[in-house]
Amino acid sequence: MAESYRRSRWSNALFVAPYLVVFFALLVFPLFWGMWLSLNKVDLFGGGQFIGLRNYARVLSDPVFHQAVRNTVVFVAVSVPTLVGLGLFLALALNKTTRGSSFLRGLYFSSSILSVTIVTLIWRIVFIPNDGLMALIFNVLGLEPIGFLSTKGWSLFSVGVATVWWCIGLPMMLLLAALQQIPADLYEAAALDNAGKWRVLTRITLPSIKPTIMLVAVIQIVMQFQLFGQALIMTNGGPAGSSRPIVMYIYETAFIRWDVGMGAAASELLFVIILCAAMFQYWISSRKEVA
Amino acid sequence: MKRLLTGTALATLAFAGMGHADTTIELQRFFGACDTEFGNVTDVSQAVGECGIITALINKFEADNPGIDVNVTTVEWPGYDQLNAQLASRAAPDVVTMHYSAISDYQSRGLLDPVDDILAAQGIEPSAFTDAARSGVTKEGKMYGLPFDNWTMLFHVNLNLMKEAGLVNDDGTPILPTSVDELFAQGEQFKEATGKPYLVQVLANETAAYTRALYTFLQQQNSDFFADPKAVDLTTPEATAVVELLKKIYDEGLTTTGMDYAAAVSGFSNGDGGIAINGTWLIGDYVAQSEKEGTALSGGYTVYPIPQLFPGKDSTYADGHGWVLPKKDRSPEQVEAIGKLFKSLADNDFQWARTGHLPAVQAVFEMEEFQSLPHRANIAEIADTGQSLPPEVLRQFAIQDIIGEELAAAVHGDKSVEDALETAEKRINDLLDNI
Repeated sequence: MAESYRRSRWSNALFVAPYLVVFFALLVFPLFWGMWLSLNKVDLFGGGQFIGLRNYARVLSDPVFHQAVRNTVVFVAVSVPTLVGLGLFLALALNKTTRGSSFLRGLYFSSSILSVTIVTLIWRIVFIPNDGLMALIFNVLGLEPIGFLSTKGWSLFSVGVATVWWCIGLPMMLLLAALQQIPADLYEAAALDNAGKWRVLTRITLPSIKPTIMLVAVIQIVMQFQLFGQALIMTNGGPAGSSRPIVMYIYETAFIRWDVGMGAAASELLFVIILCAAMFQYWISSRKEVA
Repeated sequence: MKRLLTGTALATLAFAGMGHADTTIELQRFFGACDTEFGNVTDVSQAVGECGIITALINKFEADNPGIDVNVTTVEWPGYDQLNAQLASRAAPDVVTMHYSAISDYQSRGLLDPVDDILAAQGIEPSAFTDAARSGVTKEGKMYGLPFDNWTMLFHVNLNLMKEAGLVNDDGTPILPTSVDELFAQGEQFKEATGKPYLVQVLANETAAYTRALYTFLQQQNSDFFADPKAVDLTTPEATAVVELLKKIYDEGLTTTGMDYAAAVSGFSNGDGGIAINGTWLIGDYVAQSEKEGTALSGGYTVYPIPQLFPGKDSTYADGHGWVLPKKDRSPEQVEAIGKLFKSLADNDFQWARTGHLPAVQAVFEMEEFQSLPHRANIAEIADTGQSLPPEVLRQFAIQDIIGEELAAAVHGDKSVEDALETAEKRINDLLDNI
């Protein structure tokens, strides 16, 4: 044991050095650099003057930021349960070994490989007034078309629909993989006990895949808090900022206004929000487990 | 053997000399991508539209200058995000398109090189450009770009629908409003006769149209809303009057609603309304459509400046496009190549003016070909009535976004007019105060 300890040399660290260099250069350094920028009055092109927490005070007193936080929280609160629920439904429905289910798995996953530009173009065609698919359907039904992308409330809803359509593939696949890990003898035993479908679902299936449901929820919370491209391209955050998410606020502040310090401060706040939301979700699930 | 080796080495050196690489200019622009249609066109007269004409102009320059290679990168309008990232990483292209209204931001941070010496080396005098164009690129006494055009928003008129509404004079010219009251009267008349909205506006997913309308109608009321370039004054009766006008147009159903930029452009082409409030850059395309059979604009298109609706002065907000040089080290060959490119663009400014933009080169106004372009006589007055914001006002694109967002909220009834203007003023002044 002592011999093997002595054989452990610092030079062995060279094996992990390539990863560590990338990790520090692309993750750790930008993380701390962002924190430092948030304490400075600085634009995109260098310079800077230390101003302490003034950027945080400006962000926290900005009504536009408050609105962006509200929009994002509402978006996450609606889209994450939808993604988890719909993903679970699709996974349960497609947990078979038929050709049809394999085809449908591929079909439902296919939207995930598209870029945000393509996704938003597709949904723009659906939602745009006059020539859009929804407008045509409303006209055929003799109803007044809704301005999905330009009406308060509907704009965030439209962004949510596009997002769920785009992101549903990953939750479905993760839950499907988890379903396939459940030992078949549990179901055989349930069948011998003459358990109903609902009882099998609630007593065997869901408890068995609970860690994966938890994983999917945390991944989606982290992802959906970072909503950006869909809102930027489909609604430009409008109308009246009602679909502007936090990341779009950061983008506008740092890249359109060139106020990188304030943008960095908003980024750090978003980091804290995501961390809290994910920890809260983790705490809720762990607490139930203990109970 | 020795001779053979020496000979081979000399021959290699000679070939290497002959194969000297072209001078390359990295050019970054907006105006769209259309290589499929115009990628090989060098006869600029065959090209139409902003994208077609600029593509053909660069093709022609490369054909005329075999030793110069222009690498074009096309960016999504307005492309400043990419440029900012490139400047921040010290990887900026050699030549970039830039709005006159954005030049101050970059020049004031020392991110642009002046072009006076480059233009002088090519024999281009500053006086060759119009006052509006030259002042757009001139900062602290130096020119920071090649002026390319001036543009503004216009009334694009569908004469076929206006005839149906009885809004055409005997001489075939449209009857346009000369006051706010006339605008509503004619708008109602149009709507009743055609069942369509009078105006085709970009009211969704867009901020520029609202802002340009506000600037135009404030200028028409002689409102000096940027008397202090570091603080805007929007809580004025004049600003309230403008936003109430825009809101009443919306409330009374005199405009298309919910159209974004692309939808509004095609909506006017499809005859969705009588008058499109949109830019100079669409004239060429709409003229081409009016010359085709079977379109909503067939034989029935014309264009005018935004009419004077307020009794102050005839004025319309104007901006322009220029070609700027991001600050970087360049070889003398590159500088010379850029000079030649600028000379070519200035010499062919008439071709660019076919898009509908007003020429930056004064002499083009005198050209018979320019004067005979359709409808140019109608809009020539913009050379005198066009007015930009004071050049000292920084972050004009960010300001445009704030105003557009707040005005859209007021027009759609999400905020009161006073609240929208107060909020816009506060947000803009916070922005300017923290530069």
